[in-house]
Amino acid sequence: MTTDQSDGAPKPDNASDIAFVKALAEVLRENDLGELEVERGVKSGSKLSVRISKNAPAPVIANVAAPAAPQAPAAPSAPTAPAAAAAPEAGSDDEDPSSLPGIVNSPMVGTAYLSAEPGAAAFVNIGDTVSEGQTLMIVEAMKTMNHIHAPHAGTVKRILVEDGAPVEYGAPLMVVA
Amino acid sequence: MSSSDWPHGYARIVLEETDSTNAEAARRAASLAGPAWILAHRQTEARGRRGRPWESPTGNFAATLVLHPTEPPEQVALRSFVAALALHEACVAVTGRPEGFSLKWPNDVLLNGGKLAGILLESLGQGPRLDHLAIGIGVNLAQAPQVEDPKALRPVALAETGAVVAPEEFLNHLASAYAAWEIRFTGFGFAPIREAWLARAARLGDTITARTMREETTGTFETVDNSGALVLSTPKGRVAIQAADVFF
Repeated sequence: MTTDQSDGAPKPDNASDIAFVKALAEVLRENDLGELEVERGVKSGSKLSVRISKNAPAPVIANVAAPAAPQAPAAPSAPTAPAAAAAPEAGSDDEDPSSLPGIVNSPMVGTAYLSAEPGAAAFVNIGDTVSEGQTLMIVEAMKTMNHIHAPHAGTVKRILVEDGAPVEYGAPLMVVA
Repeated sequence: MSSSDWPHGYARIVLEETDSTNAEAARRAASLAGPAWILAHRQTEARGRRGRPWESPTGNFAATLVLHPTEPPEQVALRSFVAALALHEACVAVTGRPEGFSLKWPNDVLLNGGKLAGILLESLGQGPRLDHLAIGIGVNLAQAPQVEDPKALRPVALAETGAVVAPEEFLNHLASAYAAWEIRFTGFGFAPIREAWLARAARLGDTITARTMREETTGTFETVDNSGALVLSTPKGRVAIQAADVFF
């Protein structure tokens, strides 16, 4: 699989889209997988999202505008709002969350948990002030609970995953600025 | 070296009581120079995965191994399998009978198909560098708790085999076994761990169910892949699962 689309060309053109999907199909076949989903940012700030499946009639490819960061510091009008409410709203601006200052990315493939146990309060909510090293969420793989710590003190601006959602390596999880 | 010699380089801390050995580990981690086992005879706030209650009566085993690994988190998480193998070996050593013990993905040790033990790993730190890894291990040595969930595996105690083992004696066997598996893991990587784990796996080739917060996947338990993921063969194709509860 090549990654040259993200260098040079700001947006993948149609030909390289096709090459990308073909490469993915090869990975699918070689590894005898049923389904494969890939998401990545491209230079323009939009996101290329591809899902291919042996059972789907055709590969699906979409250029999704990535959600924008709130322009002003999030007013904590509803500080107890569940984190799921912070799921990205589409179409506001085309800024890639992974390029935002203060982005916290997933260090591993796994499942994201926003609270220590089902029904418990979330580790943090949007608008919360956090200190460096504070647990923001957990990413679990192989029954290893990986505590994701705030890399610096700041305010939780955005929560980019839902409780229980699978996350990929490097996936943007949260913005702390 | 006998199977109960204390391994070189590992600290041994024995407490009468603590809230939970993993919490104790988090408090002490920064002051520990090297790997350390922390055993508590009583835990007042023992917890399982995702906050599930874990009964820890006196006579049962509760300890946490604190490590300061330097690998990336996805490598660190593979110690789930390392710990399961060490625990399996310790159980065989103290009972003298390898038959009856098996492993359920990723790190449950079963005795005669029942749940004998629980392992919960917590890694604290950010990005590629972890502050520490706590491997919490609970074993029903003396008595099995009552479990209300009808779908859960039947809890069993090691005492069912006729073996009477005190927690501190069990720790000696476990620490020795762990140190040996840790050397294999850091020296040769996941491949020998995976192979040994698969050789002890319960229900390989059978239909099993993996349940997450969001979905359930049922399929044939094909293997564990090179990343440690559970691989199920389903009518929709092969599915690799990184985090789930497995049901037989």
